[in-house]
Amino acid sequence: MAVILIVEDEVFTREVAEMMIQSWGHQTLSAGDVDEALSCLRSDQRIDLLFTDLYLKSLVLGGCDLARQAIEMRPALRVLYTTGNSVTDKMRALFAAGTQLLRKPYTPHELQDSVGALLAA
Amino acid sequence: MRVPDIAASDIVETVPSALIVLDRNLNITSANRAFYQIFRTSAEETEGCHIYELGNRQWDIPALRTLLESVIPHRASVEGFEVEHNFPTIGRRTMLVNARKIFRPDDLDGSILLAIEDVSEERAARRESSRNWQLTQSIVDTIRDPLVVLEDDMTIVTASKAFLTIFGISAAETQGRRVSELGQHQWDVPALRHLMEKVLPENKPIESFEIEDDFPGLGRRVFNLNARKISQPGNHAHRMLLVFEDITDRKQRERDAQMLTNEISHRIKNNLQIIVGLIAYEAKWTAAPCVQGYQAMQTRIGAIAQLYDLISQSTHGQTVAVDAYLQEIAKAMSASLIGDSSGITIDVKAEPLEIDSDRAVPFGLLVNELATNAIKHAFPHGTGQVLLSAQKVGDQIELVVADDGVGMKDKGSAKGPEKRGSEYVAVFVRQLGGIIVPARSEDTGTIVRIRLPLAVPPSGTARVAA
Repeated sequence: MAVILIVEDEVFTREVAEMMIQSWGHQTLSAGDVDEALSCLRSDQRIDLLFTDLYLKSLVLGGCDLARQAIEMRPALRVLYTTGNSVTDKMRALFAAGTQLLRKPYTPHELQDSVGALLAA
Repeated sequence: MRVPDIAASDIVETVPSALIVLDRNLNITSANRAFYQIFRTSAEETEGCHIYELGNRQWDIPALRTLLESVIPHRASVEGFEVEHNFPTIGRRTMLVNARKIFRPDDLDGSILLAIEDVSEERAARRESSRNWQLTQSIVDTIRDPLVVLEDDMTIVTASKAFLTIFGISAAETQGRRVSELGQHQWDVPALRHLMEKVLPENKPIESFEIEDDFPGLGRRVFNLNARKISQPGNHAHRMLLVFEDITDRKQRERDAQMLTNEISHRIKNNLQIIVGLIAYEAKWTAAPCVQGYQAMQTRIGAIAQLYDLISQSTHGQTVAVDAYLQEIAKAMSASLIGDSSGITIDVKAEPLEIDSDRAVPFGLLVNELATNAIKHAFPHGTGQVLLSAQKVGDQIELVVADDGVGMKDKGSAKGPEKRGSEYVAVFVRQLGGIIVPARSEDTGTIVRIRLPLAVPPSGTARVAA
């Protein structure tokens, strides 16, 4: 069982992701923006994986900045990005090392594979 | 010609310049072969004749008189004295005259040696070149895009008026300087320098090299640079024409359009994600036998979303390049092959064909459905090849999805998801106005051949499934 922080500004999408992840036996934490996510990350709460949307509210690359700060705070943290936008090489260059990207819309199967692969790494 | 020794005489007779020797009274004492040839005269007509009397007084030229009567008496030698004259025998000529006083022991009065070089052609070429240059400069100045002409050492020979006006510099500030040294070194970009160094030696033009920077007095600008080698017939020296196209406004429109596309794409994908989420939510409370159907629905929604991305990468205006589109589909499907399917390759063999963007989604879904079927059912051992091909046959596109797998054992026995897959294929083919070509019996593998019209059916007549 792992603890996964889900950062998604779309409430329904976030809750469905929580439901999927919980159904595989993991514990979830959730945040709707960068500030809420950073509060979780600054706490003593165990977090194994950050699953974040790249585009958070008005911040086009909010997820990238969040992941960078999160890894500074917790170097062992695994990161899974998601986005509905097209991803350019410039954006990919901003991804932290060892992270993965899951394109929207993702199926429960695809999310499970990505989460499983990152937790096993 | 009287010269002290035979070797000197040989030299005199072989030099291309016309030589004549005058005594102190300006009578011609001798001339060389080149003189007779150039001025179409002979030794008999020439020797002993006064220079001004020679050839019906054609040498009685004011400029020559000045040289012989006013300059030579006061100087030992004169070089590069230019005389332009209309000679009755040979026409208008420009002569370059070198003169030298010669004193010998037996001739204390001294003689004058005149070396006359016919530079008419060179001067004419120079005038022609000057006229050409003026013409080129006028053309250059009428072009609205700023441009410069560079020497092979990358220094500026000339800059157009537009260049000088737009970048606020004078012609003197540009000439002899490198482009990289201009302004605030905005053009000093290693990649551009590297490309420019190849233009002349390798005749490799630069096409659309973009530079975005802050320019004094202009603000932030985007310039598109194009360069090519220019040569003048009969001249082996080459120069480079470098044109600067200001694409700032166009670039801004493209960026606005891209931003809008991204925003719409973001919203569509999020909405599709919500639909996938709703299906996942429903599936959670659905009886096990139905879950497979829900999952298939989620996968197809994912395929539609992915196709929108692929279409945007293959679109040329109102049409989509079939070859590029198939390549993108193959790439995306190959990337999703993991685990038991990782030994399967998906290849593309397609002619450069276009389909209208309205039909691109059903076309992609059709390919996706057929290729997914092959991946799922053709390779029980996890290795094999799926080939996506498209070619023009008459006024149709023939799409073929083939695999080298185990083949379809009993085509009539498909049921459940497989049957629905076949039904979807039939629906997409009808939507595209096409037909499925009956397959021949194959020893191994499966080949599905579909013919689609190249042109879009007129509105209202499309053979869309009822």
